[in-house]
Amino acid sequence: MKTLVLGAVTAALLHITPTVVLVKRQDAVAHLLPGADQFAAREVHVSSADSRRIHDAVGWEPPDGMVTFYVGKHQDQVAGALMFMRVDCQHGPLELAIGFDPSGKIRGVEVTKATVEMKPWVLEALRAGLTDAYRGLAPDQAPAGAAKVKPRIGAMPGYMAELVDKGVMHAAAAYRLFYGRK
Amino acid sequence: MLYDLRHSDLRVRWLVTLLLATLGTSYLFGAWMVALYAGFSPRKVAETYGPAGEAVMAMQMPPETTMVSERPVSMAEMGEEMHHVDRDLLVQDTHVHMPMYAVIAACLSIIALGLAIPRWAGLSIITVLFAAPWLDFAGMWLTKLASPGFAIVTLAGGWAMALGYTIVAVIATYQMWWRKP
Repeated sequence: MKTLVLGAVTAALLHITPTVVLVKRQDAVAHLLPGADQFAAREVHVSSADSRRIHDAVGWEPPDGMVTFYVGKHQDQVAGALMFMRVDCQHGPLELAIGFDPSGKIRGVEVTKATVEMKPWVLEALRAGLTDAYRGLAPDQAPAGAAKVKPRIGAMPGYMAELVDKGVMHAAAAYRLFYGRK
Repeated sequence: MLYDLRHSDLRVRWLVTLLLATLGTSYLFGAWMVALYAGFSPRKVAETYGPAGEAVMAMQMPPETTMVSERPVSMAEMGEEMHHVDRDLLVQDTHVHMPMYAVIAACLSIIALGLAIPRWAGLSIITVLFAAPWLDFAGMWLTKLASPGFAIVTLAGGWAMALGYTIVAVIATYQMWWRKP
């Protein structure tokens, strides 16, 4: 019986906590594609060669070979593009929304989802101004939000900031390599 | 029978009853969650665990050259996330869920060991309890790696889980609280 209880407790501890929404996707879209009233999903089915290319560049490849950019337009003028990016870690997944302006620079980043366990760490990193560091970044510039906020936050929020950096880096690489493809 | 639930201490019967009630409740919410995120039809399960995108069934292999398609979407569609489990997420799901399923199957098997049922029936119940998570995850991986047709294996795993739990819960509750020969 003791072993059984111990086993159940261990399994419960191993279990990833449920996901919580920090920012609704619609709110992230409104914030990152301001003024846009027409939207299109640009779906890129990435070839093996391009998967290798992006993997060599940033150590990541699109899940199931697919990248989706949401393009926002106003009066047929492109207002920007946005992508949702998942970053996994042993505590569960984070979801980011990364918005690009028409020139390709990062307009903003929102953390849209985290797990219950990760939420307070993410919020601490956000309160320290993590996402301000990404604004105006060109797709070929390395994001360095974590380095900026780490001196002011705890170890786990710092780790969350590194994960957000990683997600932004993956999104920027995907934008640089695939957004302009026809 | 390694022990007899019918004549066990009241505390043991109470523990087993509460365990079954708690597991039953979590199974109900589990079914609700499956309905929300994956669905109960082979097509829905294949969409969740198979290749991503619009051409779910058609495009399983990466194309030779990168292909782009564009379609209009509404704000609401962008907000609606289609729950899709890619390979990395499935690795994580398998890692965190398999140990929990094993513990649940073990708990139910220990209860089954205390039931007044033939030896073959006990063996069958234990087999069903452990086969269910294996079928569940084998189906998900085969759907992803081999063919969307294997979604049926995941569904079989889910129903086997429900069947195993129901058999144990019904017999145990009856024998513990009603039938006392």
